[in-house]
Amino acid sequence: MILSTTKSLLLNPLIQLKTPPPPPPPLKFRPKFASISARLDNSEQQLNLSVLRFTLGIPGLDESYLPRWIGYGFGSLIILNHLLGSDSVTAAQLRTETLGISLAAFSITLPYLGKFLKGATPMDQTTLPEGAEQIFVMSQNVSAAQKEGLAWATYVLLRNTSTTSVLILAQGALCIRGYWNLPDGVSKDDALDWFKNNIEETGLSDLKDALYFPQNADAEFWSILPQGTRSVLVQPLLDPNPSTNEMGNIEGFVLLASSMRYAYSEKDRAWIRAVSNKLRSKN
Amino acid sequence: MVAGRILHIGIPCIPGRPPPPPPPRVPNFPRFIRASSVQPGGYKGPKPGRDWIADWVSKNDDAVRSLPIYVGGASLLAVLFNRAVSGIAPVADASSSQSRSDLLTLGLAVTNVLAGLVWLSIRPKSIIPVEPQGVECQVIYSHLPESVVSEILWAWESLSTVTCCRSLVIVYDSQCIVQIGVAAKSMNDGEPFAVDAAKLMQGSLCQGVLKSGAQSYLANLSLYPGRSELPFLPSNTQAVILQPLGDRGIAILGGDTIRGFTTSDQAWITYIGEKLDATLAKYMSNIPLMPQTLFKILRFPRQCFMKLRTEDIQMQGHTCCHLKFPFSNKNITCNDMFLAVENVPVGCV
Repeated sequence: MILSTTKSLLLNPLIQLKTPPPPPPPLKFRPKFASISARLDNSEQQLNLSVLRFTLGIPGLDESYLPRWIGYGFGSLIILNHLLGSDSVTAAQLRTETLGISLAAFSITLPYLGKFLKGATPMDQTTLPEGAEQIFVMSQNVSAAQKEGLAWATYVLLRNTSTTSVLILAQGALCIRGYWNLPDGVSKDDALDWFKNNIEETGLSDLKDALYFPQNADAEFWSILPQGTRSVLVQPLLDPNPSTNEMGNIEGFVLLASSMRYAYSEKDRAWIRAVSNKLRSKN
Repeated sequence: MVAGRILHIGIPCIPGRPPPPPPPRVPNFPRFIRASSVQPGGYKGPKPGRDWIADWVSKNDDAVRSLPIYVGGASLLAVLFNRAVSGIAPVADASSSQSRSDLLTLGLAVTNVLAGLVWLSIRPKSIIPVEPQGVECQVIYSHLPESVVSEILWAWESLSTVTCCRSLVIVYDSQCIVQIGVAAKSMNDGEPFAVDAAKLMQGSLCQGVLKSGAQSYLANLSLYPGRSELPFLPSNTQAVILQPLGDRGIAILGGDTIRGFTTSDQAWITYIGEKLDATLAKYMSNIPLMPQTLFKILRFPRQCFMKLRTEDIQMQGHTCCHLKFPFSNKNITCNDMFLAVENVPVGCV
C-alpha cells in the first residue's frame, strides 16, 4: 500500500514545480501526508520543501527508523527471491540484486547518520540500569555551604541531563547520587570508602581536560559504574587562573554516566562545565 | 607511562603573553575530546578515540542531507537502464523473478529519496544573532554578602557563555538587585537605564508570571506589546525569558537571537532561578519567626503543603524544626530541600 501511493505521488511534484502549486486536495487514506508544496525560493535558489512528513499515524512508532526496517525487509526479500527463482539467474538479475542489497545496506545505516545532523532530537529514552539502586552519600566534614552546593549540583545534573549516575569530587569532598551498582559486601555506610578507594586507583583526580566516551566505555576500567552505562563524561574542575602555577590547579572532577549512547550534546557539555565552575573554590 | 613521565615538561606559561580572547558562546568542540598526553602521571585510563563518521556528518551537514536523494535517484535510473540494456520489456509485473527484484530495488530507492526529502525539510533555519545596542553595565545591590554576589556572578557567567543571554536583571522584594550585561542607554547621558523596580513589578508581564509561578518565554520580543514594560533592555533585544524567583522576585534575561533559548536552556534557567531564590531568601527576608508559619502548616495541612516554600524551611537555620508532611510521614529537616530528596527522578527533559 505504501509503495503504490508513493510512486504515484513521485510524478506530481515534478509537474508542480513549473506553476505555483494549488492547495493540495486532502488525502483521506493512510499513510497521511501533510501538504506537499515545492517552490523555488528566488532569494536563496533553494528548493524549499515544507512539511513533507511521511507518517504511518501509529502513536509510539518512531518513523526515523523506518528506512532501517525497510532495508532489512526488502533486503531479505531480495535474497529470498534469488534463492527461490534459481532455475536460471541471468546476469541482469544479478546486477539488480547487487544494487538492491547495497541500497538495503545504505538504508540500514541512514538512521545512524541522521543522528549526527543538526537539529536531530535524541530518540531513545533513558533506561534505568538493572540491578542498581538509588543512593545518595556525601562525605562528612563538609561545610553547610559546600553540602548545599554539592546537593544542588547533583540534583540538577540528574534532572536536566540524561544522567543516571553522578559522582563529584570537589575540594576533597565526595558526593555520589543516582543509580549505582554497589557490590554485595558493601553496605550503604561503607559505600563512601569503597568509592574513594576505587577513585584513587583510577587516578581520575589528575585529569586536565574533559573526557567524553559517547559509546561503550572500556568495561574493566569503569568497573565502578553500573551495568548498562553507555556514555561517560568526566569534567575536571580547573582553577580559573592558570597563570599562578605552571599547571592549572586541579580541584576535583565531576563524573557523569548515562545509559544512552551519545547522551551529552555540545550544549549539555557547556552547561555541565558551567555547573562544575560553581563547585570550584572561590579564591 | 614512564615515557609520559619523562615528557613531563608542563605547559609553559610565557609571562607577558596577551590574554587569550574570550571563548565563543558555545565552544565548538570536535566530537571527541582527547585527554592531554602530558600529565603528571596520574590518569591511567583509556582515552576516547576519534569518531570519524560523526565529525564528517556534522561538517558536511548539507551534503549529507541530500545524499540519500542522489543515491536513490541514481539507483532508480540504474534499474531502468539495466532493464533496457538487457532487452527485457519494461513492464512492472511480478511474474518473473527479474521483475520482482527490480520492484524491490525500486522500493528501496524510493525509500532513500523520501528519507532525503525528510532530512531536507527538517533542516533547522539558521538565525543570525543581533548585536544588542546599548551600554555595558554591571550594577549589583551593595548590601549583599560576598557569597550571594559570587553566586550571582557565577549565574551571569554561565548564562552569557552557554546561552544567547546578553542582559540580566534581577528584581527581588521590589528592589533591583542586579543589572548586568547590555542595558539600554538612558536619555540624558551615556548611563545605563535604571530599572524602576516598583513599576516593573506592577506591570502585567511580571504580575502574570508571578501569579502562575512558571517561566515565561517571549521568543520573538517584537511581537509582544508588553515590550514597553521592559525599557531597560536594549531596544533590539530579540528574546526574553522571565523567570520567577519564588513569589518575591523575578529574573529577566534578554537574548540576542529570536528563539535563541532552547528547551534545555529553559530547564536550566528554571533550576538556576530556584537556586538564586533560595540564596536570596536567606539574606533578604524579613518574615517573622517560624513558629507562626509552622502553626499555620499544622492547622491547614493540605493547603500549606502546596504553598510551602524553600525559604520557610530554611528560616530556622541548622537546629531545626521538624515538619511532618501530611502526605508522607517523612520528617523533613530544615536543610536545603535538595538534600532532603533522596530519590531523584531521573530522566531527560
